Amino acid sequence: MFRERPQNQEEFPFLPDPDDPGHDPGFTPGQPPEKEPGNDPGRPGFPGPGDPEAPKRVQGQRKESMQALKELGTNVLPEIKSNIHCLTIVGQIEGHLVLPPQNKTTKYEHLLPQLVALEQSPEIEGVLVVLNTVGGDVEAGLAIAEMIAGLSKPTVSIVLGGGHSIGVPVAVSARYSFITHTASMTIHPIRLNGLIIGVPQTWEYLEKMQDRVVRFIVEHSRISEAAFREMMFRSGELARDIGTVLIGREAVECGLIDEVGSVGQAVKKLKDMIAEWKKNNEDYNVKI
Amino acid sequence: MILYTPLPIELVSDGLQEMKTPAAHLIDLEGVTLMVEDAGPGEYKVLRLLSTNPYDYLRPNLHPGAIVKYQR
Repeated sequence: MFRERPQNQEEFPFLPDPDDPGHDPGFTPGQPPEKEPGNDPGRPGFPGPGDPEAPKRVQGQRKESMQALKELGTNVLPEIKSNIHCLTIVGQIEGHLVLPPQNKTTKYEHLLPQLVALEQSPEIEGVLVVLNTVGGDVEAGLAIAEMIAGLSKPTVSIVLGGGHSIGVPVAVSARYSFITHTASMTIHPIRLNGLIIGVPQTWEYLEKMQDRVVRFIVEHSRISEAAFREMMFRSGELARDIGTVLIGREAVECGLIDEVGSVGQAVKKLKDMIAEWKKNNEDYNVKI
Repeated sequence: MILYTPLPIELVSDGLQEMKTPAAHLIDLEGVTLMVEDAGPGEYKVLRLLSTNPYDYLRPNLHPGAIVKYQR
C-alpha cells in the first residue's frame, strides 16, 4: 500500500491522513454529512420540524400571496384560523356554459362542494356570503341559493355593490341579510335574449322559470309575492326596461333584505347567531 | 341556459364565438384529480377539481385559476 502524500499538509487539510490516530477509519462516503452548525435543531432560533412551536411558514406561502397580489390585487392575510368562512359571489354566476373571459365569473361547480365542506367541517361555525354580482344563470344561481338556505349553520349575507337579478335569491337565502347604503338590487323579469316567443308554450316555460325564482325569494324573505311581482313589472324606473332598482334602505323597507349595514354589523350579527346556535346545539359542543 | 342579468346579452356573450376550448387534461396532484391546462413548463392552471372529498374544495391552492406545479 503506497499512497502519495501531499508535500505540504497545510495546503490540503481536507485529505484524510491514514496515519493520523484521530482519523475515523469507519468513515465511508455514503454516510450522511455531519450536521452543519446552522441547521442544528438544538440551537435556539432554529426550531426543528418536530417543534410544535415552530412557525409553519413555508416558501409556498409567500408565492401564494404573490399570486393573489398579482391576480386579485389583494394580499393574503396571515393564517389565523377563523370560525367564519367568507363565501364571495362576484360577477356573473356562471351556468352550464363557460362565459367568455371578459366576464368575472363565480363557478357553481366549485361552490357547491365547498358548501358541503362548510356544512361538514367542525371548524367552520358560520358562513358570511359577500355579494357583488350582476346575476347570471338561473339554475346555477338557484342551486347556490338553495345550498346556502339549506345549511344548518348560521349564515349572513351582505350585498355590497350590487345584487341584481339572480343575485336577489342568493342574497335572501342566508338567515339574515344586510345591504350597504349605496348597494343596489335590480328586480326585473327573466327574458330569453334574442329569441322571439313564437308559441304560447315558450311563454309558459318562461313563466315557470320566473315562478321558481319568485317563489324562492318570497319563501326566504319578508316580501309578499304581489309586492315583488309589482316591482318586477313596474315601468318608468329603468330607462329602456321594466323593473325596479332598489338602493340600500329601499330593499329593507320592502322587506327583501333584513337590515342596512356593512361588514362590521354583518360579522357581529353572525357572531351573535353562532353563540345562539351553539347554545341550542348541545350535541355540537360534544362533537368538538 | 337562461341568463338572468341586467347586463345586455351582447356584452356578456361578446367573444363567445372566438372562444376556444382549452386543451384540458387530468393530473393527479397529492391524490386529488384536477382538470388543468398548460401554463408554462411544469406549471398548470387549475380549471376544475374532480374530487369527492369536500375538504379539497376549501384548499385555496386548488381553486380554479390557481397555478400548480406538477411533473409528469
